[in-house]
Amino acid sequence: MSMFGSLDPLLSVSLLTVLLMLGLGQHRHAGWLAVAAYLVQLILLGVMGTMLAYSPDKDMAIASGLQIVVMGDTMSWAMTGLGWFFAVVTVGAALFTAWFAAGAWSEGRQGMRLYQVCMSLNVFAMLLLLSSGDLLSLFIGWELVSWASFLIMAQRGGEAVQAAFRYLVYAMSGAVAILAAIILLKVNAGSLSYSAARDYLAGAPTSILWLCIGLFGSGFLIKLAMVPFHLWQARAYSLTPGPAAAFLGAISSRMGLFAIAAVIMTVVGMDRLIELEIPYTFLVARDLWLWLAAITIVVPTFIALKQTDARMLLAWHGIGQSGYMLMGLMLASPMGAAGGLLHVFNYATYQAALFLTVTAVAYRTGTTNLDRLGGLVTRMPLTFVAMLLGIIGLAGLPPMNGFVSKWLVYKSLLAQEMPLLFLAASIGTLGTVLSVYKLIHNTFLGQLRLEHENVREVPWSMVIPMLSLGGIAFITGYMPGLALDLVTIAQQSLGITALDYHLGGVNTDSGSLDMLWVVSIMLIAIGIGALVFLAGNRSKRVHQFDNYAGGHFLSSDMRYHYSHNFYPGLMRVIGPWYRGSIRWLESVLVSITAFSTSLSLGIFRSRFASYYPLFGAVVLLLWVGLP
Amino acid sequence: MISLALPVVLPLLSAFLLPVIARANRTTASLLGPAVAVVNVFFGLLIWQSIAESGPRTEALGGFTAPLGIAFHGDPLAALMVIAISALTFLLWPKGSHDPVREPVLTLLLMAGACGIALSIDLFNLFVFYELVAVASYGLVASQGSGKSYIAALRFLILSATGSAMALLGIALIYSVTGTLNLVALGGMSELLLSGPLGISAFALLLIGFGVKAELFPVNTWVPEVYATTTSRVAGLLCGVISKMALIILLKLLLTAFDNEAARTLLLTVGILSLLTGELAAYRAQDLRRILGFSSIAQLGIVAIAFSIDDTAGVLAGIAVAMHHLLTKPSLFLLAEKWGGRINALRGASSASKSGALLFTFIALSLIGVPPLPGFWAKYLLLSALFDAGEQLHYLAALILLMTTVIEAAYLMRIITRLFEPHAERPPSHARQELIPAMVLGGVLLLSVFIVVPLGEGLSRVAEQTVDQQLAIQTGVITPLAMSNLP
Repeated sequence: MSMFGSLDPLLSVSLLTVLLMLGLGQHRHAGWLAVAAYLVQLILLGVMGTMLAYSPDKDMAIASGLQIVVMGDTMSWAMTGLGWFFAVVTVGAALFTAWFAAGAWSEGRQGMRLYQVCMSLNVFAMLLLLSSGDLLSLFIGWELVSWASFLIMAQRGGEAVQAAFRYLVYAMSGAVAILAAIILLKVNAGSLSYSAARDYLAGAPTSILWLCIGLFGSGFLIKLAMVPFHLWQARAYSLTPGPAAAFLGAISSRMGLFAIAAVIMTVVGMDRLIELEIPYTFLVARDLWLWLAAITIVVPTFIALKQTDARMLLAWHGIGQSGYMLMGLMLASPMGAAGGLLHVFNYATYQAALFLTVTAVAYRTGTTNLDRLGGLVTRMPLTFVAMLLGIIGLAGLPPMNGFVSKWLVYKSLLAQEMPLLFLAASIGTLGTVLSVYKLIHNTFLGQLRLEHENVREVPWSMVIPMLSLGGIAFITGYMPGLALDLVTIAQQSLGITALDYHLGGVNTDSGSLDMLWVVSIMLIAIGIGALVFLAGNRSKRVHQFDNYAGGHFLSSDMRYHYSHNFYPGLMRVIGPWYRGSIRWLESVLVSITAFSTSLSLGIFRSRFASYYPLFGAVVLLLWVGLP
Repeated sequence: MISLALPVVLPLLSAFLLPVIARANRTTASLLGPAVAVVNVFFGLLIWQSIAESGPRTEALGGFTAPLGIAFHGDPLAALMVIAISALTFLLWPKGSHDPVREPVLTLLLMAGACGIALSIDLFNLFVFYELVAVASYGLVASQGSGKSYIAALRFLILSATGSAMALLGIALIYSVTGTLNLVALGGMSELLLSGPLGISAFALLLIGFGVKAELFPVNTWVPEVYATTTSRVAGLLCGVISKMALIILLKLLLTAFDNEAARTLLLTVGILSLLTGELAAYRAQDLRRILGFSSIAQLGIVAIAFSIDDTAGVLAGIAVAMHHLLTKPSLFLLAEKWGGRINALRGASSASKSGALLFTFIALSLIGVPPLPGFWAKYLLLSALFDAGEQLHYLAALILLMTTVIEAAYLMRIITRLFEPHAERPPSHARQELIPAMVLGGVLLLSVFIVVPLGEGLSRVAEQTVDQQLAIQTGVITPLAMSNLP
C-alpha cells in the first residue's frame, strides 16, 4: 500500500497523460487513450478516498514526496479530503467528456491534438491546485488553471478568442489580488504555510483581516464568477468546443469555491467571518458572502431566461448555480456545508450531461440556436432522455440529485433563520424551472423543422456518456447517501461536523428526507399513470404534417412551433429590471483605461521631448528645495 | 590573479586596431569582434572565480591610488555584468553590414564602456565610460542608414547630451562639496556632507543625466522612436545591457554616496512613473517594436523601484528583474526583426514561423510573470521586498506593479492571439539561422526554470556582497587618503 499512500502516482499519471497527448494526440484513437488515462486517475483517487475515509485522523492529507525550497520558501503538495472531493469531480467530469469526444465527435476534426493536450493540462493543473500544501503552491496551481482554461477557451479562434481574452483579463486581475494577499501574509506571518498564516490572522488587526478577505475574496470570486465578477463566463464557456465546455462548465469554476473553502474558511476562519462586523451596519463579514451568493442565484438565472442560444443559456445557469454552492458552504453548519458541497457534485453530473446533449444536438443539426430547433424528440430520443434527466436536476426537482442538495441548503437557511436569503434562493429556482423548460421545449418538443427531417440519433460513443451522467444524477438522487459519502470526507477535513445521513437521505430535528421513499412513490405513481395511459390508448400515430389545427391543414411551410420571444407576459413584467448595470461598470473601467493609455502615449509623442531633462531637473530641484 | 582592467582594455584596444586590421585582411577583421566578446566572457568568468576564492577586491590602475588614479572594484555583480554584457554582445553581434569597420568598432566601444561602468567605483570614470557608451550608441542607432534612424539618432543625441550636461553638473556639485569622486570615499562622508539639499540636488541631476540611458521617466522619450527605427540587434543591446548599466551606476550611488532616504524616494518615484507610463503607453501602441520599447521602459522602472529599497532583498529583486529582462527583451526584439510594424499585420505569423511564435509566447508569459517561469520569481521577490519595506510609497509601488501586470498581460496576449490567428496572408517567416540567438536566450530562460533553486541562492550571494559596503571599504586601498582630504 505504500505506493498508494502518496500523491505522486496520481500526479505522475496526470502529467504523463499530458505528455502522451502531446506526442500522440493526433492519432485516431488518442481519445480512447485519454479515457483510459482519466480512468486510471479516477481509480487512484478511489484508492486515496478509501484511505481518507477510514483514517482516524480527519485532518489527514495524502502528501507528495516532492518538496521545493525556493529562496527560503517551501513549496509542498498534499491532498486533503476537501481537495480529494473536488479532484474526484474533476477527473470524473474529464472521464465522461473525454468519452463523449473520443469516438465519432473527434473524427475528421481539426486540431484534436491541441484539444487533448488542453484537456489533460487542465486536469493536471487542477489536481496541482487541489493538492496545494501551502499558499505558494496554491498560487502556482491557480495560475496554471487560469492559463490552461484560457488555452481551451480560445481554441475555436475568432469570437472565442475575444471571449477568452476577456476571461484572461478578469483572471489576471484576480491573480494579482491573490498574489498581493499571499505576499502580505508571507511578510507578516514569516512563512507561506497555511498554519503560519492561520496563526498570524488569529491575532491580526481588523484592517489586515479585511484586506486579506477583500484580496483573496475578489480573486476567488472572479473564478467562481460571482456577481459582480461574472461577465466573463457565459460567453467564454459557450464558445469552447462542446465536450470541453461540458468539462469547464461542470468543474472549472469550482476551483474558486475550493480556494474559498481552503483559504477563506480555513485560514481566515469561519469564526472570524462571523465575528467581523461591517462598519456602520448591523451585518458581519459572512453576510456579505451570503448576499453575494443570493444575488448571484437570482440575477444570472434571469439573464439565462432571456438567452436564445442553448449553450449561453446553460452557461448563465452555471453562474447562478454556483451561488447555491457558496451559500451552503458559507452557512458552515453540518447541513448547509453538506448541501453546498453536494451541490458541487450534483451540479457537475447534470450540467455536464446538459452541455453534452446540446453538443450532440449541434453535432447533428449544426446549430444551438433555440429559435432554429424543435421537435427533435422523435429523431434523437435518447439525447432527449439525457436532457430531460439533466433539466430536472438543474431545476432542483425530485427525483434527481439537484433536489437533495437544494433541499439541504433551504433547510439550513430556515434553521439559521435567514428568510430573505431563502426567498432569494426560491426565486432563483423559479427562474431555473422556467428557463430549463424553454430549453427542452425549444429543442425537442413541438414541430420538427423540415431541414431536420433526416436527423438521426448520435452514435453510441456519445449517447452512453450522456446517459451515464444522467443516470448518475438519478441514482444519487434516489440514494443521496452514495454522494454524501464523498461529501463527508471533504466536510470533515474542513473541520465541520459530519451530517447524520443514510443511504436515502438525512435525519434532522427539524425534519427528515428519505429519497428512497419519495422517489419510489413517484415512480409508482408514474407507473400507474403509464398503465392507465397504455391501457386506454386509442391514439393513432400520424406524421406531424398529416395534421390540422383550427380547421386548417398544417403544411411544412407553416410554423406552429412557438419558440421565439418565449414568456412574453413575464418579460413585460420583469423586462425593465434588466439594466446591464455591471456591463456598464465594466465599460466604464475599460474607458478609464483607454483614456489613461492615450494620455501616457501622449507623453512620449511630445514634440518638446528634448526639454524634458530640463523640466525634470527643475521639478526635482523644486522637490528638493521646497521642504 | 587576473587584472580587473582586462575586460575594458581588450575591447578598447581591438576597437582601435580593427580599422588597421581591416585594411590588411577583412576576414580577420570580421572575426576579431566576436572573438573579443568570447574572450571577454572568459575574463568575466575568471574574475568571478577569483572573487569567489578571495573575496571582492579593489585595484588601482598603474599603481596610482585615488584621488589621482583610476580605481576598479571587482565584486560578484561586476563580474556577472561583465559576463552578461560580453555574452549578449556576442549574440547580438551586428551582421552583414555594408561597412566592415564602423559597426564592429562602435560595438566594441560599447562593450568596453559597459564593462568599464560595471567595474568602476569612481564617479568621474563612471561618467567617462557612460559617455563612451553614449557616443557609441548614437553611432550604432544612426548606422541603419535610413532617414528615420538619422532623425531618431539626432533626437536621442540632443536628449542624451542635455542629460549628460546635467550629470556633469551634479558631479561638479559633489566634487565641490567633498573634494573626491571615489565612491568608497564618498560613502564615508555621505552622512556628513551629501544628505543635505545640496547633495540631494546633485543626486537629482545625476538621476536626470543617467536616467536617459536607464530609460527613466521623463527622459525616456527617445526609446520608442529609436527602437522602432534601428536594427533589432542594436535595440536589443541598448535595452538589454546599456540601460542596466545606467541603473547600476545609480545603484552604486545609492549604496555609497547617497545612502539616504531622500535619494531613495526620488528614485522610487521616478521608477513608479516609468512603470506606469510605460505599461499604459504599451497597451495603446500599435507597432510591435514600439510596444517592446514601452515595455522595456516599464521593466526598467521596476528595476529602479527595486534598487530604491533600502534592503538586500531590494537589490536582489532588482538584479533578478534586470537579468530576466536582459534575457527576454533582446530575444523579443530579435523576433520582431521580421515582425516589425503594426501588430495587426502579424495575423497568421505562427503558420509561417511556428518556432518563432512559440518562443515569443514563452518569453511573453515569463515577462508577464506566469509561475513557475523565472519572471514570476523576479516579481515575487520584488513584491516581497516592497511589502517588507512597508512605507506608503512602497505599497503604492506594489499596487501599481500588480495593476500594470494585468495591462502587460493584456497587451502581450493581444499580440500572441494575433500570431496564432489563422489568416490568408502570411507575414514574413524567420530563417532558421536568424532564430538562433533568440533561441539561445530563450533556452537560457527555460534552463533557469529548472535551476531556480541554485540560481536564487547565487543571486542572493551577489546581492549580499553588493550591499555589503563594509567589505568594499576594507578591501579598498584609498579610504584613508581621501578621508584626510575632508575640507
